[in-house]
Amino acid sequence: MDSYSTIRKIQEGLLHREYSCEELTKSYLDAIERDNQILNSYVTVTPQEAFSAAKRVDQKIAAGKPLSPLEGVPMTLKDNLSTNKIPTTCCSKILSGYTPIYDAAVWETLKAQNAILLGKTNMDEFAMGSTCETSCYGGAKNPHNLKRVPGGSSGGGASAVCANLAAYALGSDTGGSIRQPASFCGVVGLKPTYGAVSRYGLIAFASSFDQIGPIAGCAEDAALVFDAISSYDERDSTCSGRKGAPCAESLNQSIKGMKIGIPKEYYEGLRPGVQKALEDAQKTYQELGCKLIPLALPELQYALPVYYILACAEASSNLGRYDGIRYGYKTERYNDLNEMICKTRSEGFGAEVQRRILLGTYVLSSGYYDAYYKKAQILRGKIVDAFQSAFQKCDIILAPTVPVTALPQHYSSNAVDNYRTDICTVPVNIAGLPGISVPCGKDEDNMPVGMQLIGKKFGEATILRAAHQYEKAARDTVFCPVKMGVEK
Amino acid sequence: MSQYELVVGLETHVELATKTKIFCSCTTQFGGEPNTHCCPICIGLPGTLPKLNQKVVEYAIMAGLSTHCEIAEESKMDRKNYVYPDLPKAYQISQYDQPLCKNGYLDLSDGRRIRILRIHIEEDAGKLVHSRGNTYVDYNRGGVPLIEIVTEPDFRTVDEVREYVEKIQSIMRYIGISDCKMQEGSVRCDVNISTREKGAKNLGTRTEIKNMNSINFITKAVEYEFARQIDLLEAGKEVTQETRRYDETNDCTEGMRGKEDAQDYRYFRDPDLVTIHVPKEKIAELKALLPEPEEDKFHRYTEEYQISEADAKNLLRYRRCWQYFDQASEGIQNKKALASCILGQIFRRLESDSAKEAFEINVTPKHLHELIKLLDDGKIRMNLVKSTLEKMLDTGKPAADFLSEKDLAGISDEDLQRLCKEAIEKNPNAAKDYLGGKEKAIKALVGFVMKSTHGRADAQKAETTLVNLFKN
Amino acid sequence: MVSHEELLSLAKLAKLSIPPEKLQNLAEEMNSIIDFADTINSIPADQNDFDNINGLSNVFREDTIQESLPQEEILKNAQDQDDGCFLVKKRS
Repeated sequence: MDSYSTIRKIQEGLLHREYSCEELTKSYLDAIERDNQILNSYVTVTPQEAFSAAKRVDQKIAAGKPLSPLEGVPMTLKDNLSTNKIPTTCCSKILSGYTPIYDAAVWETLKAQNAILLGKTNMDEFAMGSTCETSCYGGAKNPHNLKRVPGGSSGGGASAVCANLAAYALGSDTGGSIRQPASFCGVVGLKPTYGAVSRYGLIAFASSFDQIGPIAGCAEDAALVFDAISSYDERDSTCSGRKGAPCAESLNQSIKGMKIGIPKEYYEGLRPGVQKALEDAQKTYQELGCKLIPLALPELQYALPVYYILACAEASSNLGRYDGIRYGYKTERYNDLNEMICKTRSEGFGAEVQRRILLGTYVLSSGYYDAYYKKAQILRGKIVDAFQSAFQKCDIILAPTVPVTALPQHYSSNAVDNYRTDICTVPVNIAGLPGISVPCGKDEDNMPVGMQLIGKKFGEATILRAAHQYEKAARDTVFCPVKMGVEK
Repeated sequence: MSQYELVVGLETHVELATKTKIFCSCTTQFGGEPNTHCCPICIGLPGTLPKLNQKVVEYAIMAGLSTHCEIAEESKMDRKNYVYPDLPKAYQISQYDQPLCKNGYLDLSDGRRIRILRIHIEEDAGKLVHSRGNTYVDYNRGGVPLIEIVTEPDFRTVDEVREYVEKIQSIMRYIGISDCKMQEGSVRCDVNISTREKGAKNLGTRTEIKNMNSINFITKAVEYEFARQIDLLEAGKEVTQETRRYDETNDCTEGMRGKEDAQDYRYFRDPDLVTIHVPKEKIAELKALLPEPEEDKFHRYTEEYQISEADAKNLLRYRRCWQYFDQASEGIQNKKALASCILGQIFRRLESDSAKEAFEINVTPKHLHELIKLLDDGKIRMNLVKSTLEKMLDTGKPAADFLSEKDLAGISDEDLQRLCKEAIEKNPNAAKDYLGGKEKAIKALVGFVMKSTHGRADAQKAETTLVNLFKN
Repeated sequence: MVSHEELLSLAKLAKLSIPPEKLQNLAEEMNSIIDFADTINSIPADQNDFDNINGLSNVFREDTIQESLPQEEILKNAQDQDDGCFLVKKRS
């Protein structure tokens, strides 16, 4: 399957017997075998799982039974999503060999629909990073330019979809980890409203920020996947599930008259190519009959430090459990329990993870809690309120996903420099709102630019519709998979 | 020695008697092979999330209502972070600054009021067993729900400590939220002890003895520690704030080896759980579920039903027992007799404490009620009650199966006259003795009447009838 | 600013060990990150504690038993186990 097919087209092909599901699956697995050595998108490939699901789908088709919306479609899961009996490592040495004994809620749902799991994808270790380079398996590559990063932390998923090594991927987004790699790789990435998708089975980084979402080739595909994974799950106390009708049903409704907020703070310090692409996107929306509303969101200036304080605090607590006793890596030599635990963690966690654990421990520790954690919580409330006010003036917000395009590998050894690429995505996680990155052009180096549509709480249908209408209007920006190596 | 005052505060952990753990649906049943009552959530597997058991919140509120606490309208769960193998997530989900209940009290018999600062809910840790230098970890008890009851440092004597610990357990058992088996570890106390000169305003430095599960050891530890602290103060030394261990063998406390830095638990609100909102209607609903206060019931049993204090205490000791008694005795006049059936014959069949707690017998409250009703109505006598009850306990059948019409008919006055005359005729010696002044001799004649009626006659009435016969 | 001493006690809390040769470097990195976090110091903050991001309350579970997992599954990923328990050996 070299040319790009949407989920619907793939299913049409199956139903019209253009190919069997087994043939379809084999073609993806062959492509992975050919290209993954270069791209390093996949850290685990699961042909057995894939073929047994494909078999079930072929039986269903032969019996003339109708297919569920995602049935028979080859896909992948980020390696922080628990898969029963299939290794799940968060690309960290400390979880090497860990095989979950249960399925994540989203995987349970998709497995029941015979989604074809091709494998688990590469990511920054414990989702902490924006380049995929903190992975213990080495980073993935950006198919558009192998010397650039695919972004992070869902770098493997974005590069897989980009190179057509999967029809769609599930990633996770805590500070931009779905949207930013989607932007760098020129694909669509949706972070749902906090609480729309069950986190049960997602290995936690920052519990009040993490959300699972789709990375796909177009808005419609993202809508189909989101609709499937956003059912209420009682195991997650913070999950309410999607509100309202399935988003895929309302994509074609006109967006004429839609008010699109343009916050000026988001447009500062952009790379020229990014600036231009966003301006073009704004023009497209105006041509579609939308109204652009200038906004001010001064609260955004402190979003980044607020995010890092709160997310690292939660992470330092969530990662306390990795001590080698019940699962994962255990250090080889020790003389007492404390030494065993400290050595296991210091040898098992990478440098970035350890830095964030230390920061998180610092901001929660007695004497510092009020100045950092407590204050950051108050400021979080202010950012939530700021967006709420903004959404009284507009229906959605249009902003860049990242101020730059895909960075070169090993861009900066300075942690804070790396944090700054999250500046446009992080506020959306702080406020718990839905955000989608949509490719909207290329920059001077021919690298993809992503625009971000931010919606009201549980407003996925609105931003997906705005994305879909944009795709119809701006045909030249629509995703086209990047062909990798030559056929053997 | 008398110039010094003992000051004690207690933190009591009580295991709640819910069927499942606090954050997952694993059973809380005691025992079982290690790690057989576990699931991904209670062993803290990556990606799992907690979900709060509603019964835990309700039981905690009931504990608060029974100790005069204010119930918080809004409260939350917090993470208490520390690393130890018995804590799979490396944090305990507890409540830090917004507990479910606060500002309650318990009054003791010496007039002291012990203020209860707070009651909050939290999860228990697993069990560690140290053996051959290694540590074995079993998470069966991990996630069992606890309430922690914290008092102000209001205790001044060892007897007060003892009474409080007994009373708290009795209350929690009485309202049915815990079985309170201290020997099994379902109640544990952390004891804070300090000493100061009598009349001093400030508290002395306190030491802490953790995880005590025996009232005797608690009192011994307090006594020892008080004496030890006095010795230090008299010698002009200072008491070090520390956690100490009670050594059972030598009846003393000792400092724990290896100085541990004071733990920084880095409490913060657990982002995986949501606010607990307790509306007034819920509090009223739970209040209505509480049985009447134990003191009130005791009073009613002893004053109104004429049951002895000791018997009343025994009835109230076991929840299912007094529930059974209340049910069976409703509408019965002679509640004392019913109580004696329970405390005598029924208890004899329930030998162990746990048997009395389970109170599984095959005589339903209704059946016992029916039997004693016959006694109330004068249709049968106590000895027939007893023998019938034995048969009922043996077979599970109701009284009617064992009592014939004749049994229930009683003795008519005519028949009684005739039987008494017969008694006098057939016992001339006893009659002669009575007429001669030996009043007690009438008992033999009464006995004869009772025997010939198989106990159905009213002994009192028989005696009166005999006396009248002699008069004539 | 965090001193070497403070950094070591943070590491102790977080159960991480920092080899002495890496301490200086790590301290510099951490200080740059903490400086970044310090930028919130100058922002005025007056309102109450922020609640939880989803505004939900009273999400509860019924007290109904569900079957636990078998012992072998629970122990499946443990490197060291004995007698049905997770085993922490005194020393390696």
